[in-house]
Amino acid sequence: MALKLKTKLLAGFMLLVSLLIVAGSVSILEFMKLSTSFTEILENNYKSIEASKTMLEALEREDSGILMLLLGEWEEGRTILKESDKVFMEAYTIAKNNITEENEDALIADIQSKYLQYKEKWARPIVDTFKEGNIDWYQNNAHQDFIQLKISINQLMTINQESLYEEATLLRDNGHRAVMPGIISLIGAIVFSLLLNFYLNQQFISPVKELTKAIRRFNPGDYQVHSKNKSKDEILLLEEEINDMLKRIARKNDTR
Amino acid sequence: MRLEVIFKILGVVLLFNAAFLFIALVIAYSNQESSLIPLLFTTLICIIFGLFPMVFSGKHETLSFAEGITVVVSGWVITCVIGMLPYLMWGGEFNLTDAWFESVSGYTTTGSTILNDIEALPKSLLFWRSATHWIGGVGIIIFVLLILPHARNARITLLNTEMSELSKSNFHFKARTTIQILIVVYVGLTLVETILLRFAGMSWFDGINHAFATIATGGYSTKNSSIAYFENVWIEVIIMVFMLLSGIHFGLIFGTLTGSRYNIFRSKVVRSYVLILVLGIILVALKLFFNNFYSWSESLRYASFQVISVGTTTGFATVDTAIWPVFTQMVIIYFTIQCAMAGSTSGGLKFDRVYLFIKSVTKQIQLIKHPAGVFAIKMENRTISDSLERQTMLFVVLYVFTFFITTLLLTTMDIDLTTAFSASIATLGNVGPGFGKVSSLGNFDGLPNLAKFILSLNMLLGRLEIYSVIALFTIRKR
Repeated sequence: MALKLKTKLLAGFMLLVSLLIVAGSVSILEFMKLSTSFTEILENNYKSIEASKTMLEALEREDSGILMLLLGEWEEGRTILKESDKVFMEAYTIAKNNITEENEDALIADIQSKYLQYKEKWARPIVDTFKEGNIDWYQNNAHQDFIQLKISINQLMTINQESLYEEATLLRDNGHRAVMPGIISLIGAIVFSLLLNFYLNQQFISPVKELTKAIRRFNPGDYQVHSKNKSKDEILLLEEEINDMLKRIARKNDTR
Repeated sequence: MRLEVIFKILGVVLLFNAAFLFIALVIAYSNQESSLIPLLFTTLICIIFGLFPMVFSGKHETLSFAEGITVVVSGWVITCVIGMLPYLMWGGEFNLTDAWFESVSGYTTTGSTILNDIEALPKSLLFWRSATHWIGGVGIIIFVLLILPHARNARITLLNTEMSELSKSNFHFKARTTIQILIVVYVGLTLVETILLRFAGMSWFDGINHAFATIATGGYSTKNSSIAYFENVWIEVIIMVFMLLSGIHFGLIFGTLTGSRYNIFRSKVVRSYVLILVLGIILVALKLFFNNFYSWSESLRYASFQVISVGTTTGFATVDTAIWPVFTQMVIIYFTIQCAMAGSTSGGLKFDRVYLFIKSVTKQIQLIKHPAGVFAIKMENRTISDSLERQTMLFVVLYVFTFFITTLLLTTMDIDLTTAFSASIATLGNVGPGFGKVSSLGNFDGLPNLAKFILSLNMLLGRLEIYSVIALFTIRKR
């Protein structure tokens, strides 16, 4: 059975509306993912990278403090070491409380044990002992621990940087995927409107024009309107009703 | 021209694509892939635009030639547009040009890619890539014809516009039976190859994808290094056999299976086609062996695979032919020009036309010697009409002209001659890989965007056999 004009129009608009609803929902969903990626980048990786950088800076300062002690500068050396240790531990705590990547916990534990080993080297007296001015001691003990610790902190920074890169790529892709449905829906809606216009013209405007022409051609003696309309919808119904009306008028005229 | 009829058939084309998109969607959903939304959205677009014309259109049983041509050409274009949407929306290496190139290359079964890292694609998109080959292999319109209801006359018109005269030559049936045979052979070959590849060691996923690409003579692989990745001689043998079968007229394959007298073994064209392939393999293998590239068995193995791959317009690779001697490259270029048989899933010039061209040239030479003589050209015991002979000669001229113009256009973009020449002929012939920057293990990513658009137009011209496109524009001018 042929669809009625009302049903056809409704179906057409429903299809268009469903396209726009889906496009809108997809965009919202992807933008929500985008927001999650932003948070993940800031919370998970950026904090740990900054903490690693601070630890490295503190470590460099501690190395300078040890060199001061080796030169016999007790006061200045101890002050630098104390301040740097505090900074290091604060950064370490941030990193420890922000374990988000695979193997990050093992690296944090490794940094802790290596730092304690390193700290043990400079916590004990240096000034006025055999260590003062002893470059060999520095090279074989403190400096070796310093290098090993730096490697571990760099590893921590690298895994967070890699994750940050991955998240940033995801962010870019999510951004792309959030925008594309909108663009494609826009183009789709334009094409859809053109199609709808074509069908409206073909199914509604043209039959109405045909009917108008037929009415204009109407000969009072005929009592019948003949349009070229082939559709089986409301337009045909209208034509049939007009013909019925004309027949009724004819009957009324005949009875007079 | 009745646009509502055209829109309705194009709607069916979109719905057919939606079926394959839905399978890709299921893969994306089950693996929780990032391609889920792009595939979902494209499927919905296909369903909405596919159903919309059906709401307004009634039954139509006839189709004029002009409407048929419009349906065929615009059906391919619309399919390619829809095919690029999942790539474009997913992103990664795809921008608008690259997504369009990949889609056209997929549907036209060319198999040229712009991807540097194929394995980075989600499984669902890898499936979609291979599915575009399979949909385009036998021709999307052929699939649509099978499901088009109440349209016997329309079916005949569309079949006549989608298939060339030569392609129809070995089908001795009515339109609907011809379509059914095509589909049965196509699906049957795909199923058998998938099972064999699984037994040879491929996963089901890789097996299906490679079977899609082989039977459609496409060439998209799920691996960066194509078939070379598997390092499995049995996989290579299976793919070679099925590439060869897919390059042969499907009517003859059906005839062989059903014991008809129109079969592979009695066909002179098949015999000549296989003979030339064997000759090509021997020449390439000998050159590789004597140039100390490989041992004799390796030379034969690699030469067989590459010659059959290119000679059937598939484009799979087991080795990078760009490093091979120039002579072997020239042999492969010959096969890129020749292409496979009419009535197969291959595109381009087609061996039958080369065969007919040579026979026609021989006839002309005889006519010079004996101007009053009457010489008839016979193919498969059938006398070729003068009009078909003229059409074929004109097609060869148009084909050469098109590929010359494309090469010329590419060189204006400062692309080297080897790349420009081989890319033009490989895309027009729907083969895939060329030489230079676009060699068998390389890709088309490095080419300028304009070059990619020109080459994708080339692929469509090769697939639509040039005439359909010309006919479309000449009809519109009337």
